[in-house]
Amino acid sequence: MAGIRIENVRKSFGVLEVLKGFSLDVADGEFVVLVGPSGCGKSTMLKILAGLDDATSGQILIGDREVTDVAPGDRDVAMVFQNYALYPHLTVARNMGFGLKMRGMARAEIDRRVLEAAKILDVEHLLDRRPKQLSGGQRQRVALGRAIVREPQAFLMDEPLSNLDAKLRVHMRAEIGALHKRLGVTTIYVTHDQIEAMTMADRIVIMRDGAIQQIADPDTMFQHPANLFVAGFIGSPGMNFMRSTVTMGANGPQLRLFGQDVPVDRPIANLAGKPVIVGLRPEHFATGAGAVRFTVTPRLIESLGSEKYLYIDVPEENRGAVATRGGEDDHRGDSIIARIMDVGAIPQSAAITLSFDPARLYLFDAETHVTIAG
Amino acid sequence: MTRRRLNIVLIYAGVVLTCAILLFPIYWLVVTALSKPIDLRVLPPNFWPEVPQWQVFGKVLGDRPLLLWLGNSTLAAAGAVTLSMSVSIFAGYSLSRFRVRGGQSLGLFILTAKMLPATLLVIPLFGIFRSVGLVGSLWSVILAQATLIVPFTTWMLKGYFDTIPRELEQAAMVDGCSPLGALFRVILPVATPGLAATCLYGFVLSWSEYAYARTFLTSAQGNWTANLGLTTMKGEYVSDWNEISAAAIMVAIPVLLIYLFLERYLVSGLTAGAEK
Repeated sequence: MAGIRIENVRKSFGVLEVLKGFSLDVADGEFVVLVGPSGCGKSTMLKILAGLDDATSGQILIGDREVTDVAPGDRDVAMVFQNYALYPHLTVARNMGFGLKMRGMARAEIDRRVLEAAKILDVEHLLDRRPKQLSGGQRQRVALGRAIVREPQAFLMDEPLSNLDAKLRVHMRAEIGALHKRLGVTTIYVTHDQIEAMTMADRIVIMRDGAIQQIADPDTMFQHPANLFVAGFIGSPGMNFMRSTVTMGANGPQLRLFGQDVPVDRPIANLAGKPVIVGLRPEHFATGAGAVRFTVTPRLIESLGSEKYLYIDVPEENRGAVATRGGEDDHRGDSIIARIMDVGAIPQSAAITLSFDPARLYLFDAETHVTIAG
Repeated sequence: MTRRRLNIVLIYAGVVLTCAILLFPIYWLVVTALSKPIDLRVLPPNFWPEVPQWQVFGKVLGDRPLLLWLGNSTLAAAGAVTLSMSVSIFAGYSLSRFRVRGGQSLGLFILTAKMLPATLLVIPLFGIFRSVGLVGSLWSVILAQATLIVPFTTWMLKGYFDTIPRELEQAAMVDGCSPLGALFRVILPVATPGLAATCLYGFVLSWSEYAYARTFLTSAQGNWTANLGLTTMKGEYVSDWNEISAAAIMVAIPVLLIYLFLERYLVSGLTAGAEK
């Protein structure tokens, strides 16, 4: 096992730069998740790390060894692909042992290692089958098995759960997490699913348009997003965004939200008169009493049993040109979502009083979208 | 009659008509082979001979070196297919996988060779083969037919390789294969149906070829291919059409057998590109 160091890796296709100076230090045994919307460059970075794609510039070290120009097979990493990439003409056992055979390992040792990995992944009874005779979950296990028999320095996983149904995905997510704890192998995992990132990662690297937006552990990423994009990407449903202007009230800076002046206990007096984007997570709304109360008639109520999603019209003065959800600009600036837990029946089209704590507000620069400290 | 039932009847009628059009020449070939020469000139024609002349096949085999011609055709077709496949596997794989400047144009350029009629290419090829002493040798036909089928086999294989996920060879490379090793250890075994279909298609193209054999082999009777041999059975004043038909049936049988045995591969190989 070894740590991985990626130094200022760039990748361009002609004038199109898909990786804009990617740098990352991964500690030995760490589980790092690269997450971001489609086309953000995360899979390209993983392929460059595996040696399947060349970087335009930059350097990659696995352990103390520079591998930037080393062939994929000589990097001592194992990769799990989104579509599993099992060899259809080989049995499960031969699929798992293929990498060892390529390294000239003795037959008996290959068999021993394959059996050991098969026991760990509970695929012993499938060893003589061909991939097409396996279910999606079994194929995923075999793909993982093919990676672990190699006992590599690092695992690289490219959206390995994307092809599974929702229930199996949750199950395999837990299995991969448990496998990582058991083997302790450095793992770099690519996904577009922020829930996978939050639940599995020691650290998350969130990317957009080939650039890293933030590197942090899941809790930090959730509580202290570096910018509007990260704030909108992490969390489900995503953070709500409204537009407002900082004004100075009798007790300090305040923002106009839902038709009232909301005092904000942050050192933002210098922003007086300037527009800001205000973020508030759906789960930070509550029904009834609270520091800031307002009455609305939800345009739609979705019940998920234990919780309800209330879709609320944003007052005209707070509507922004862009609302960012799930990392995508979806231009839904005219509505926000309140997520209310353990509440009884709420009749559709009835007025309801909601509240929130202004301490929960996030503030972002209206132009740069960077989080305003405070 | 409901609209659905009418549709089914029309579809079946279409299928029967198509089959009749396709099968009639074969049926008539059999009728001609099994009829006495005198019965072939009667009007209205007999749609099945009163006494089928099965002995015609033995007579043709006895009178003409048909087995030798068939052997030559097999050698020429197998040689041309082997040669073209060994080029097309790499060409098709490269066109499918590697994005290089001008690669697409190069791929299309390969096809231009097929756009030219064989009779146009036969003249420069004859010049080349004469200068290296290959005229009259079966090698001339093998090489010439390979140039004929390489464009087809290259594009057929490219289409098949396109359907194989790139991740397969990427996985093989991460597992320790070189790019060439990944091709031979993973991609080609996976592409077996496509390879079989392409070989078969190339074989049939080569087997049916006539112009090259007619030009390069006319003076070397020992190297005649079956198609060339068949045409020599037609006399200047009198032709034994029953014997010619019998010989034609025997020439068609090897290809027919190959189709029957490899039909499954052929269908999956030919339709692979369409499923993507």
